[in-house]
Amino acid sequence: MGSLFRSESMCLAQLFLQAGTAYECLSALGERGLVQFRDLNQSVSSFQRKFVGEMKRCEELERILAYLVQEINKADIPLPEGETSPPAPPLKQVLEMQEQLQKLEVELREVTKNKEKLRKNLLELIEYTHMLRVTKTFVKRNVEFEPTYEEFPPLENDSLLDYSCMQRLGAKLGFVSGLINQGKVEAFEKMLWRVCKGYTIVTYAELDEPLEDPETGEVIKWYVFLISFWGEQIGYKVKKICDCYHCHIYPYPNTAEERKEIQEGLNTRIQDLYTVLHKTEDYLRQVLCKAAESVYSRVIQVRKMKAIYHMLNMCSFDVTNKCLIAEVWCPEADLQELRRALEDGSRESGATIPSFMNTIPTKETPPTLIRTNKFTEGFQNIVDAYGVGSYREVNPALFTIITFPFLFAVMFGDFGHGFVMFLFALLLVLNENHPRLNQSQEIMRMFFDGRYILLLMGLFSVYTGLIYNDCFSKSVNIFGSGWNVSAMYSSSHATKEHKKMVLWNDSVVRHNKVLQLDPSVPGVFQGPYPFGIDPIWNLATNRLTFLNSFKMKMSVILGIIHMTFGVTLGIFNHLHFRKKFNIYLVSIPELLFMLCIFGYLIFMIVYKWLVYSAETSRVAPSILIEFINMFLFPASETIGLYPGQSGYTLVRKDSEEEVSLLGSQDIEEGHNQMEDGCREVTNEEFNFGEILMTQVIHSIEYCLGCISNTASYLRLWALSLAHAQLSDVLWAMLMRVGLRVDTTYGVLLLLPVIAFFVILTVFILLIMEGLSAFLHAIRLHWVEFQNKFYTGAGTKFVPFSFSLLPSKFHNNDLA
Amino acid sequence: MPESAELYFNVDHGYLEGLVRGCKASLLTQQDYINLVQCENLEDLKIHLQTTDYGNFLADQTGPLTVSIIDTKMRKKLCREFEYFRNHSLEPLSTFFTYMTCSYMIDNVILLMNGALQKKPVKDILAKCHPLGSFMEMEAVNIAETASDLFNAVLVETPLAPFFQDCMSENTLDELNIELLRNKLYKSYLEAFYKFCKNHGDVTAEVMCPILEFEADRRAFIITLNSFGTELTKDDRQSLYPTCGKLYPEGLCLLAQAEDFEQVKRVADHYAVYKPLLDAVGNNNEGKALEDVFFEREVQMNVLAFNRQFHYGVFYAYIKLREQEMRNIVWIAECISQRHRTKINSYIPIL
Repeated sequence: MGSLFRSESMCLAQLFLQAGTAYECLSALGERGLVQFRDLNQSVSSFQRKFVGEMKRCEELERILAYLVQEINKADIPLPEGETSPPAPPLKQVLEMQEQLQKLEVELREVTKNKEKLRKNLLELIEYTHMLRVTKTFVKRNVEFEPTYEEFPPLENDSLLDYSCMQRLGAKLGFVSGLINQGKVEAFEKMLWRVCKGYTIVTYAELDEPLEDPETGEVIKWYVFLISFWGEQIGYKVKKICDCYHCHIYPYPNTAEERKEIQEGLNTRIQDLYTVLHKTEDYLRQVLCKAAESVYSRVIQVRKMKAIYHMLNMCSFDVTNKCLIAEVWCPEADLQELRRALEDGSRESGATIPSFMNTIPTKETPPTLIRTNKFTEGFQNIVDAYGVGSYREVNPALFTIITFPFLFAVMFGDFGHGFVMFLFALLLVLNENHPRLNQSQEIMRMFFDGRYILLLMGLFSVYTGLIYNDCFSKSVNIFGSGWNVSAMYSSSHATKEHKKMVLWNDSVVRHNKVLQLDPSVPGVFQGPYPFGIDPIWNLATNRLTFLNSFKMKMSVILGIIHMTFGVTLGIFNHLHFRKKFNIYLVSIPELLFMLCIFGYLIFMIVYKWLVYSAETSRVAPSILIEFINMFLFPASETIGLYPGQSGYTLVRKDSEEEVSLLGSQDIEEGHNQMEDGCREVTNEEFNFGEILMTQVIHSIEYCLGCISNTASYLRLWALSLAHAQLSDVLWAMLMRVGLRVDTTYGVLLLLPVIAFFVILTVFILLIMEGLSAFLHAIRLHWVEFQNKFYTGAGTKFVPFSFSLLPSKFHNNDLA
Repeated sequence: MPESAELYFNVDHGYLEGLVRGCKASLLTQQDYINLVQCENLEDLKIHLQTTDYGNFLADQTGPLTVSIIDTKMRKKLCREFEYFRNHSLEPLSTFFTYMTCSYMIDNVILLMNGALQKKPVKDILAKCHPLGSFMEMEAVNIAETASDLFNAVLVETPLAPFFQDCMSENTLDELNIELLRNKLYKSYLEAFYKFCKNHGDVTAEVMCPILEFEADRRAFIITLNSFGTELTKDDRQSLYPTCGKLYPEGLCLLAQAEDFEQVKRVADHYAVYKPLLDAVGNNNEGKALEDVFFEREVQMNVLAFNRQFHYGVFYAYIKLREQEMRNIVWIAECISQRHRTKINSYIPIL
């Protein structure tokens, strides 16, 4: 409790770590997460620091581990994650570990290299067989088209492959065949045509099964081509072009027998390669499986080691170079724990001289630490999002726990909706240890982190919903209405009384569309509804007018109480920081101003509620007019709320003016005094003009702020109105239509209508409206409440703790 | 889209512009350079680069680091970024990107032809080619023996084709001819790019034209200086000058007649922009090299391009700035690895 009200008191401690034990000490500290290190070598660039060699070693280890994880993932071997996180490795083991890992890496690289080579070989052979198979059909086709080659002597029996006759023409017929990437075929053909000026014939066909590209590992479509050309020169060019387009070229068999021979040879070799490849893969898998067992703990260990060296790099050496000096922020409550951690570390390393610490006084502002638990964490986050509190200032999160869900609920008041929200939050809370929820992403994560906020928001919405008597826009009659309709009939009263009152008889009831209940008629109003709004208002046409007046006044009252509370909290701040004069010269004038104007407004509202009854309601003055007149015509002759009001108003007004003026003047003087006091310590230039300006601006801002902030609290009314109206519209548009259909077919229609109603309720009323109410509640806290006392100019305490290191495998993080 | 780029520039190119501005923010700062210069060896350099936006781009390097590894890795990173921009771009920005790659393509083609002339294996030269300018037909370049051959057979379908209009010749490609070809190609490329930007109008023209004008003039100066003492005739020389710069037409005529550095300087005296640049160039050892002076000016112009919004110039400027940064890192790395520390500070700071 105390720690949530203010941040914990911190002290600056100096740790003297013996060079031999520093590593173990920091390891012990990291496990406990007690202290925040200060960088003592800020001017030293990263590669000139003391432990850069060790950092490099850690990075090398990380690189190897990343490689291992990558290979293991590639082989689809599950990576077991340990439950407990292993401690940072002792220094003696590090070398051993490094050696082991390096050996493993070399072995792995060797094996994978072999494997890749084999695979490539295999791929080439497969490609070759495909090529042979496909080109066979080319040749057949060539034979068919043979008559078109008119310039050649007829080749009746010889196949085209037998090119001896070609030699007779003085030109040598050559073939180049191979595979080419699908995307490059067109450009390839064009280029061949342009370069060889048509002295080539290209035939190609698509390969039906896609093959892997040995360079990129992608599986793509290939084309098999066969180029026939004449002449050495052109052949040379063709080969060049094939190189340029990264074609895979394979020798083309000249005769059918040769082709057959090659194909058979290929088949046996492919068989052999398959078996070898399988063996290699099995072996690789074995190695990887063995590696996978320890890889998780290794990764964590290396991470911890790296974190330790990172922190050691922030320490400075003392003159004798025998011990490291670290400066840390530590919560005063944890100093004992810190000592124990240092002892543990020293003992573990077996050092003769223990490491020790002493606290040093400092004038620097320490970081802010507010310990939270899973319940308060969400509320603290809301406050921290505005600004981390200054050191030891009053922490609004404590009050936010109640006020935030409450203000939210004022806007979201509907106990049906609130109950659904409560149930959802309850579900999350009860299952909070479920692993799937813990690892969920984005939006679900957001809900999960705010589950306790949601829970309270739901609960409070149920409460305000009961007050508003709204359940999915319908009222619930639990206690029985306090209004009695039958009392309005003239028959129920004695005839004497008839003249004074407007009573109903049969003709009135029959001919009027709207009937008015008059509470001044005896028996009609039997006293207020025990809890919340009377359900009979749900039937009234002037329901909105009634509720508006109620909600508006309620929001103003709540807002002013909230703000006054904020100003009061400022007093605690001044008390704590020993600025008593600020209480007299800032807080009390502020309070006076607030209470004399807006407190008086509340008084008027309550007074009017209490004093005027149904009978006298016609003569009740308007609060708004009274309030305005109080400022504009202090002596005007209106009918006041109560006798003697004008006198009071005058007195109050005068005194209030004086107070506020005096107050602001005093504020200025007060701050002057404060500055005088501080001057000895800080030796700062005292500038009267500047202080005066800030104070004048501050007082003006506060006065104007009070008015605009009060107006700002009217959003409570506006949003609650909007929510109620929206749910009303949804009911009228959907459910009423569904319910009006006659009974026989109604069920068929009602089912989809209800489904639709549920969906719209969840998405529009719960999620969308909920979000907007949430945002407005946040704003009311950040702006209207917190600017009364909260500075929020601190820095967060970030302990050196291993638990803050990522504990999971993030593949992208490692790779 | 003339006149009102502000209105709908963001519809098509807003995402990329935002991205490129973010990338620009990750350029190395002065402090980074100061730290880099202090490095003792390449490992230190790697560690420092890890703290910058380069991240662990060298992490999976097992062997010892060399300058060329760093260079190729950086190029790859740049290329990845550029490919991303290009893949997400719409017309006419994608044409603009194509124009940007053309200069690298020209360099690659020339590099390959030179390699073929010296009978080096294609694989070795391919490794040296700039990845931004690589294209599919590139490796077939060495089939060609004459310029028109090159055009007809290999480059007719590449974006380079239009630049071939005035360099079709049947001369066999020897070293001088290749160099001529490069300059002619570059000239027509620059002119075409200039025209594209000019026609595009709007802020793009206002930003890009001065940059391209400067580029053209720089080439004119450098061609002039390099041609001293070669067999290049003055007419030939003039035909190589890009005509879209500020020097056109009088300055180029004067430059064509220049015979030594003093005369070139006198030509530059007529231009307020170039006078201080050439004045800053010192003699052999003192002062700066002409190239560095031009680079500095280029960096200035490119940085200024980021001061305006809704134009394509930022992409060009970003790539150029990155390239300059890479040159700086390579320079520093070379100095470190060769233990040649006296000149380590003569990198060109990007402000």
